[in-house]
Amino acid sequence: MNTAWQLWLQLFRRVPVLVVLGNVLRLAALYFAVQWLRGEPRLAPLTAWLFGMASWVWHIGQGFNLRSICIPESFLLPQFRRRLLEYGAIDIAIWVLLPLLFVFILKLPYTLLIASILPLVPAFGLLMGSNPRASVFIWPVFIVLGWAPRFFVELTDDALHSPLTPLLILALTALLLRFSLAPLLRIEDREADTSPLESTGLNRGSTRHAPGEPQRLGRLGKRLNALYDWTSQRAMNRALAGYSRRPDLAHRMLLVRRLLLPHDNPEAIALRIILVAVIVSFYFLAMLHRQRVEPAVIGAYTIMLSLSRFPQLNIGMALMRPNMADLYLTLAPETRAEYQKTISDALLILVPISMLTALTYTALGAVLVHAADPWHMLFVALIVSAAASLAALSLHLIGPESRTGRSIANLVILFGVMAVYWGGYWLVGATGYLIGGGVLAVVTLGFALTVWFAAQREYQQRAPRFDAPIG
Amino acid sequence: MTVIDPATTPPGTMPASESSARPVLQVRGLEKSFKQRQVLKALDWHVPTGRVVGLLGRNGAGKTTLLRCLLGLSPINGGSIELFGEPMIEPGGERMHRIGFVPQTFDLFPWMKVRAYLDFTAAFYTRWNQILVDRLLADWELDAKQKIGELSQGQRQKLAIVRAIAPDPDLLVLDEPVASLDPQARRAFMGELLTLMRAPGKTVIFSTHITADLERADADIALLRDGRIQFTRPLAELRERLKRVIFQRADGWSQPPAVAGVMKSHVQGDQAILLVEDPVIDSLHALAARENANLRIEVPTLEDLFVELA
Repeated sequence: MNTAWQLWLQLFRRVPVLVVLGNVLRLAALYFAVQWLRGEPRLAPLTAWLFGMASWVWHIGQGFNLRSICIPESFLLPQFRRRLLEYGAIDIAIWVLLPLLFVFILKLPYTLLIASILPLVPAFGLLMGSNPRASVFIWPVFIVLGWAPRFFVELTDDALHSPLTPLLILALTALLLRFSLAPLLRIEDREADTSPLESTGLNRGSTRHAPGEPQRLGRLGKRLNALYDWTSQRAMNRALAGYSRRPDLAHRMLLVRRLLLPHDNPEAIALRIILVAVIVSFYFLAMLHRQRVEPAVIGAYTIMLSLSRFPQLNIGMALMRPNMADLYLTLAPETRAEYQKTISDALLILVPISMLTALTYTALGAVLVHAADPWHMLFVALIVSAAASLAALSLHLIGPESRTGRSIANLVILFGVMAVYWGGYWLVGATGYLIGGGVLAVVTLGFALTVWFAAQREYQQRAPRFDAPIG
Repeated sequence: MTVIDPATTPPGTMPASESSARPVLQVRGLEKSFKQRQVLKALDWHVPTGRVVGLLGRNGAGKTTLLRCLLGLSPINGGSIELFGEPMIEPGGERMHRIGFVPQTFDLFPWMKVRAYLDFTAAFYTRWNQILVDRLLADWELDAKQKIGELSQGQRQKLAIVRAIAPDPDLLVLDEPVASLDPQARRAFMGELLTLMRAPGKTVIFSTHITADLERADADIALLRDGRIQFTRPLAELRERLKRVIFQRADGWSQPPAVAGVMKSHVQGDQAILLVEDPVIDSLHALAARENANLRIEVPTLEDLFVELA
């Protein structure tokens, strides 16, 4: 029991917010269950939904917890797998068997179906917490929903009355558990760490790996990483050749950029855009088939997607600090401010890259939704993405280092960009390109440039830091 | 420079008197590759119970890989490993209670506090020497309330050592355990290690570049080179049997003279320096007289041996 207690404590230490949220939902479910039993049968679906959400959230946390615990060295702990199994058994008793007991006592209908769904929900949560790329397993459901909603409703209706449905759900649960647990229990050689500043665009939705946690990449992921590394090497070689031909400031800056941002070379950017475009097109065609989508929503979403790079910059810069001492010595600046300016200037390249990405995705979105006025979307995207990228870069250059601070900054940028894009789209639509665009550009770019110059000045005044980040 | 492999003792084996003890570790034909690069090539090795074995090898020789393979922390491509008489296909079973491991770098669980990490680990073991843990935390000035992420590399190394020896393991595997330690901490660690080893049936395998520590522990020396264990021998025996033979003459040497039992030789200025196993002193004097050279025979330090052989 002591090991189960210790494993449980890890959950509290790693994901306290999810633990609190899960328990609040569970308490809410308990409260409504009591009301339901007191004669409010209409609260039954709400109770079930709340309990399902509680179980889902809790097990996302469990998956995340297991991800950070199941590293090769942990398998040297005696009976580690068996202890995990015991821990899992306790969890099943609390989240599956106990509610099932109530279902039996209360003689609820669809007992077998409920009995099969009760473990399915935690299995989903576990998969999403332990495997960041789990969304590919959830897509097929939405594909069916998107392409044939009537068929899906009929299928659900029939499934409710079929004796095979519980078995099918149990089989699905077993499959999900296998997908989530098997990679965690496998001992593999650790892949070489990638640059903390890099971002391939495919892993932005996933939580960062805990220190010591192996990168659990599939075959395709490994190949794509190798492809990115190949483009980085080519770009670095070109930059080196350019610098040896003409060792001027521009070529020196290019070298610094190739070092700091290895995956922001032309080939890698093109590759990233193509990959994301393929995924977005598939997602759109499969999930949102024949649905009408507001162009403003598409535009706001694409800009958000292009800005998702900047939070990584903040974390990466902190992780890179010990290695930056080497760069400092190599650059041998006259002053510390000169070094800081070199870094901030090098990172400025992310603004046009982010703009290019936003415009490409917006154009793609406009084509996919058959937008009535694609130039309108692109025009607003151009102005807003420039301003948003500059503001995001500024904020993350001097912004907070704590996890909470970063999260707040990200949320501010996210909602700010959405509001600005929607507002800008309306303004240009209402007052025309010249007046609306002019006002939008003056307001947003004026704000962004002011923030950028202030952030750059602040960054240059700061002493460079080379100490390793804590924890 | 010429290199001749030692042929007198089969690679990876102890002398007959030692190898009769029941081995704690038995490796046969171990193969390990990373992508196209083969690191361990048909490696054979056995380690008897109750020995301190120092694993020596140059940077990149594969010491860390070998130690991780032994414990099942890195999948192998071929061969077999037996630990405590059972195949080590993956880490598991009761024997894990008997194994302690100190990794080369300890960068795990930075969000945990020292005490919480030790409590978490202790929960898994049937044997856990809490008195030893508390004493070492105090002696080595580790703050139990501090987060692991806030510890220096040396402090993390100390924590990893505390964690490894607290379950009183029968086999302790240490991957360059003293690399980040200051001299005081290194001495303290070696003191603890030697105390631990006084108990019967305890075995220690540790890789290190600090040969003085191996000399202090009077360890058996295992040399890893070219993906294989070239030999495993007690340090005293190495000292007794291997000699550094130096021929010196004013005319210099175009190549080192041929001597029976030579393991490695090179010319340096007016000296021909040879590492010779079981040298016959009379014939060396006769050779020196023939070549009109001065002869000097030295007992090599372990560092000399490492430089010559690794």
